[in-house]
Amino acid sequence: MRTPTFNATTLPSNDNVNAYSFSVDLNGQWFAQKGKMIAYYGQIRFEALSAGPLDALVAANFHSPLYAHDWIVAQGQGKLVLADRGFDVNSFDLDQGNLTIRAGNLLAFEPGLELKQSIIPGFLTLIGTGRFVAASNGPVHFVEPPIRVDPQALLGWADCPSPCHHYDHSYMRGALGMARMITGLGGSSGEEHQFDFTGQGTVLMQSSEAVMNEDVLLRDLEGQIGMVGVGGLQRLQQTITQRLTAERQG
Amino acid sequence: MLAVDLAGETIRALNGSMVAYDGQMAFKRQGMTGGEGLRGALKRRIAGEGMTLMEVTGQGTVFLASEATEVTLVQLNGDTLFVESESLLALDGDLKTGVHFVGLRGMGTGQGLATTKVEGHGVAAILSHGPAIGLEVTPQTPLCVDPHAYVGHLGQLQQDVVTDVNWRTVLGQGSGESVQFRYQGHGLVYVQPAEREGILEI
Repeated sequence: MRTPTFNATTLPSNDNVNAYSFSVDLNGQWFAQKGKMIAYYGQIRFEALSAGPLDALVAANFHSPLYAHDWIVAQGQGKLVLADRGFDVNSFDLDQGNLTIRAGNLLAFEPGLELKQSIIPGFLTLIGTGRFVAASNGPVHFVEPPIRVDPQALLGWADCPSPCHHYDHSYMRGALGMARMITGLGGSSGEEHQFDFTGQGTVLMQSSEAVMNEDVLLRDLEGQIGMVGVGGLQRLQQTITQRLTAERQG
Repeated sequence: MLAVDLAGETIRALNGSMVAYDGQMAFKRQGMTGGEGLRGALKRRIAGEGMTLMEVTGQGTVFLASEATEVTLVQLNGDTLFVESESLLALDGDLKTGVHFVGLRGMGTGQGLATTKVEGHGVAAILSHGPAIGLEVTPQTPLCVDPHAYVGHLGQLQQDVVTDVNWRTVLGQGSGESVQFRYQGHGLVYVQPAEREGILEI
């Protein structure tokens, strides 16, 4: 077994190097998520989105203050190799399309695409024409609605309306009765909540339930805390205390 | 997982990396000095580049693995391979190991001030998180690598740290790629498709 070896000219141009890494033939600018660059040839600079000269680009293509901190712009000329935690990496082309994807799984995209925050927390929407690179834990599966998907296995969706939440009846009963929630007795299967897709389009799934981390969800929650009054905060605190006690006993 | 066929030879492998074998095998933990002599052992201790290898001798096949990571084989023909001690799985018996001081380089990645060098003729097996790829370096095409994705390198390479630290980095608005290793010269650099956790996040 020999290790595949590449040099600056044999590295693929805007294509996968192997299943786990992708080579961008950079000539201009690309948006990339922080820390996903593993190597590069040529003259490439990495700038935070807050860099002054990037103002016009960011204003035109990046509409997500919540995630601006996680993104950079790579600019210059050369080959840029991207990878993410040893996950499968794939590139997709959009042609006047729209696609929504889990924020942590989007590695990079061309400035031909516009990035916006999805209504579903933790997801980002790309609109326009161009190429983007995304990571998935295990291969990506394309399925068509109507379908219900486990939130952790959901990678994204294209062309179809945003999903809605679906809860199983037994879960609802538990929520109404509260007894189960408070005592933690009775347990749960972990599968009472799904995303429900209807309409025309494609749903992208990964074959595992490993997601980046809870950080994105947490940031979303924190962002919404500002809208809650004192009474709400106290209630939240109660809920959190109950959950923590239950976790400790479990 | 790595399968090694042995016919009386000796190899050196990471302590505890054997998962199965058939035939007759003898496993021997290497002594205090790890085959590097008293001076070598002392150097290793000072550098904190800890490495515990065992000697495997026998007839048959031995299977080696460590935490389900990928194994890359590197053929050495008198060259020197530089690799982190934690990434080394097994070595041909004829290969010599030693400690190489790299100075500042390891600071940001939590790998200390030293790295392990392997030299001689034979095959070395190195571990990577995800399959490693080799990237060639020539004088015309220097290569920059993320310290967290670096696995090892081979050949006549000059290594320096490129920093792009500015006032934005200090404010916590850095580009996340502020520190890179740049390689110049002739050689091959191995990178893995994942970034290991460092002590210092820059």
